[in-house]
Amino acid sequence: MERVLIAGAAGRLGREIARVLEDDYQVRLFDAVGDGEGEWVLGEPVDPEAAGRALEGVDALILTGEPPLQVPADEVARDEMILDWATRGTHVLCTAAVEEGVKRIVYGGTLEVFAGYPDTVYISEMHKPLPGPEIYSMARYLGELTCREFARDHRLTATGLRLGKLVCAEEVDRREADYLWLDRRDAAQAFQRALPLDRSEALEWNGRWALYHIAAEWAKPKFLIDRARSMGYEPEYHFEGGRA
Amino acid sequence: MKKKVLLMGASGLIGPYLSPGLEEEYDLHLADIAPHPDGKDIVETDMTSFQQVLVAARGMDALINCTVNRSDPVASFHVNTRGAWNVMKAAVELGIKKVIYTGPQYVRRTYDHYFDIDDVPRTPGTGHYTLTKMLGAEICAIYARAHDIQVISFVFNGLGEAPTQRQEPGDYPPFTVVWEDLQLACRLALEVKSVPDNFQEFNMLSYQGHGKYTLDKAQRLLGFEPTRDWTEYFARR
Repeated sequence: MERVLIAGAAGRLGREIARVLEDDYQVRLFDAVGDGEGEWVLGEPVDPEAAGRALEGVDALILTGEPPLQVPADEVARDEMILDWATRGTHVLCTAAVEEGVKRIVYGGTLEVFAGYPDTVYISEMHKPLPGPEIYSMARYLGELTCREFARDHRLTATGLRLGKLVCAEEVDRREADYLWLDRRDAAQAFQRALPLDRSEALEWNGRWALYHIAAEWAKPKFLIDRARSMGYEPEYHFEGGRA
Repeated sequence: MKKKVLLMGASGLIGPYLSPGLEEEYDLHLADIAPHPDGKDIVETDMTSFQQVLVAARGMDALINCTVNRSDPVASFHVNTRGAWNVMKAAVELGIKKVIYTGPQYVRRTYDHYFDIDDVPRTPGTGHYTLTKMLGAEICAIYARAHDIQVISFVFNGLGEAPTQRQEPGDYPPFTVVWEDLQLACRLALEVKSVPDNFQEFNMLSYQGHGKYTLDKAQRLLGFEPTRDWTEYFARR
């Protein structure tokens, strides 16, 4: 059975991904804080020694892209930490993955990079990201770019999943429905579908890097998910018509 | 009244050669974490500290960011990426509408086999220097778009003294800019009213004889021309 490392495992998304993978993979969990069941390695993603320990014997790496769970109260220090974990943390983890011979990396980006487009535009993976300076989405975008460069330089598959705003379908007020909403269980399903994809032997780097938009299904969608469907993603949680 | 311009990285590998071409026309202020090699007054500024960048930038009309850490796995992210972010945050907070950013060229490795190369997608790879500078450029573009700040980004490969004697036989150094030309480009960047999308990146080179890397965009948007035809020094006679 293959071993998968989930970096950012302590958050709700990380835990959900672990849940959907546990039957098919040996799942190792990595975060600065963590408890409960499972095989945990505690450490910060910006620590090369911790990253090396976490990736020992691992076949595939998942970076949830989620910000750190514990951040400083000071706003400047908090934002610096979010930026540093998204950029340097991604670099440290992907470097350790390369050294371990990992061939598949999946990164959790965000659809919020399209905040600059009006709602009259259907957004596909072909659209140019126009992220704003809000730290959570900007950092995640920069982390995605960092991950992408590893596919350029190394014979590995890097897959970027641009996720909607994560919610739980049963907990949201549908009258306030937002095209960005994505049920966390559907997001986890997308990681599950992306994980087996292996294009590591592609000669051209752009064959080793792929992006998928992961959104809920809408009758009149804003974010098109045809490409994600091609890898088997099928959202189960909807926000129209009172169906969850 | 002269515009107040802050040159960050004033003591580094570029700053001391850039400031002589700016100090006559601008009220030039120097910032660096290290002392100036010629003993000039500097505002001691750690680019990784937003507070220090903010203090250094206060009262300025324009900011020039020539800071860099090339290879340290930690400092490169902090100086190049966070430092670029600190500059843009300071510009927003202080209402500064012009920023000059500098970085390594990100294209040579990929595009060396092509010709007429200008304004092509960046291909930084995973090296600390190129990746962190590319991330800094992305941050500049994001802030420029969101806050209507004009950012001119110069990309370099080689920088150095202008030739003083004929090179025979000899080829031009590729993608290399001489100090006089970089000084001119910075003056033009400080004066240009706006650039498309508020952020544009420009090849900086003084020798175009190869027909490979070009200055087309810098000529078109900044009105830049090398201060003289340096290729004369390499002419076959």
